Amino acid sequence: MPLINLPAFAADLLADFERLGTLRVDTPVIQPAEPFLDMAGEDLRRRIFMTESETGKSLCLRPEFTIPVCLRHIETATGTPQRYSYLGEIFRQRREGANEFYQAGIEDLGETDVASADARAIGDAIAILTARLPGKKLDVTLGDQSVFEAVVAACGLPAGWQKRLIHAFGNSTQIETLLTRLSSPQPVTGLSPEIEALLASGDDATLIAHLDETMEATGYSTNASRSPKEIAARLKEKRALEKTALDGRTLAVLREFLSLNMPLADAPAALFAFAQKSGLTLDGALSRFDARVAALGNAGVDAKTLTYRAAFGRPLDYYTGMVFEIVIEGSSAVLAGGGRFDRLMTLLGAKERIPAVGFALWLDRMEQALARPKGEAAQ
Amino acid sequence: MTITIALPSKGRMKDDASAIFDKAGLKIVAVGNERSYRGRVEGLDDVEIAFLSASEISREIGSGSIDFGVTGEDLIREGLSEADARVEFCARLGFGHADVVVAVPEIWLDVDTMADLGDVAADFRARHGRRLAIATKYWRLTQQFFSSQHGIQLYRIVESLGATEGAPASGSADIIVDITSTGSTLKANHLKILSDGIMLRSQACLVRARKAGHTDDPLVAKIIEAVQGAVA
Repeated sequence: MPLINLPAFAADLLADFERLGTLRVDTPVIQPAEPFLDMAGEDLRRRIFMTESETGKSLCLRPEFTIPVCLRHIETATGTPQRYSYLGEIFRQRREGANEFYQAGIEDLGETDVASADARAIGDAIAILTARLPGKKLDVTLGDQSVFEAVVAACGLPAGWQKRLIHAFGNSTQIETLLTRLSSPQPVTGLSPEIEALLASGDDATLIAHLDETMEATGYSTNASRSPKEIAARLKEKRALEKTALDGRTLAVLREFLSLNMPLADAPAALFAFAQKSGLTLDGALSRFDARVAALGNAGVDAKTLTYRAAFGRPLDYYTGMVFEIVIEGSSAVLAGGGRFDRLMTLLGAKERIPAVGFALWLDRMEQALARPKGEAAQ
Repeated sequence: MTITIALPSKGRMKDDASAIFDKAGLKIVAVGNERSYRGRVEGLDDVEIAFLSASEISREIGSGSIDFGVTGEDLIREGLSEADARVEFCARLGFGHADVVVAVPEIWLDVDTMADLGDVAADFRARHGRRLAIATKYWRLTQQFFSSQHGIQLYRIVESLGATEGAPASGSADIIVDITSTGSTLKANHLKILSDGIMLRSQACLVRARKAGHTDDPLVAKIIEAVQGAVA
């Protein structure tokens, strides 16, 4: 049976967190399952340990810290900005590795200077890993969904397509499938002559009334799920786009963007050149990107040692901007993963928008990296 | 080594399975009375027949406590993670046909494909303050199909163990994943199957638990060959 002792460097980590001026919090191990499933999606269900309370409430063993830390922040109505740190056990069903292991990290809530907060999160993660894993060469990869959002917006794509592309961002298979699908027209078929006539007439009110009547007649509530108005609007949008396909030029522009991969120090110039060449206006997104690179410099991080990969993202809908991960050179085991999640706090019930950025350290992988002789690559 | 074969304990599935085994030259006789839950195969002393419910068969084959079973592919794939690594589908038996499908209300005129459904799911929370709810008893199949094959993450499963087709009209879910053989129940509930919404075309199968001891067992090979011959 494996031991679940705290790693030897845990005390040093806590000292790091204190030196960084964070507030250490610990959350209950047993958590309501609902927020995790709601935020991460159903797929999480088979990867967490779930049980039911006597009263039928779904509970789980804490699968990560970000959501509990954010929920606690909302419940205690703590003011912002506030930087939290945590170190504790999390529980996940994994094919490889133990099912319970330690994670530590920092969540930075409410800092409105986004560039500095991003840079500080990346800088802190690098500094901690460098201090705890002496002699190991780190590879840091950074991505930014907001640049991709700016690219699809500047390409002038229909709003529905933009949403789909952004939704698939970070999952290369999904993006590729989607680009292929959008490259050919998607005819709307199978509608009854009556609906066709209503669509053709452009009389929205009658179309909606017709859907409403049909739902009533077939025993469907018109407000429990999708409403007649919502269905009619999306049907009209599909009809309007059915002869449209992604043109070859735009497709090439999107593909070129997604293939960008370079030292972060070169990325501002490369993105500017890409925008110029493609005739896209990305000013806002690019200036925010440049500000972050500058802030990294101020935080003492050498942007030449970081990699920018344009297609890198996390397909979770609360990640909104910068994401990063850190591995040891030549290994694929992620030691630190982080990013900006400006949408999470309001999704969890915060009354106002609270910008947030953070990262988590995988202590078990750090231990394994330490145990490995120098120069030997991990799996 | 004694080989245990589990067969459905009642209904059409029981009769159809017995008929196939008969045709394969493996005549099944009940031990004791007609309602007994044990049986044997005439002329093969090393074979035991256990009559179990279809879902028990899937569980027992997963744990390896039986060697062969006749049950629906849907139950195997729903009941076992990494089914193909744990069991071998030896023969499809040509009965018990049913499709596991994604069905949405007919009135969702704008939703024909999984891609349409992905759009709707992505927007659902912003519009309705909750995730798209799917009523089903097929947790695993739904997750695989939605997440892995179609990249749709943003939905919630509402467990439904009966009358799943009624869930959208009653408001307890928005759409369903369920089994259908003729589609008539779906139609009666004003539901339609998405054009790419057939998750699995299931039928009764002879499945074998992948056990090391089977490799050189002539009896195992004989059973597989006989049943395959009967459905060829």
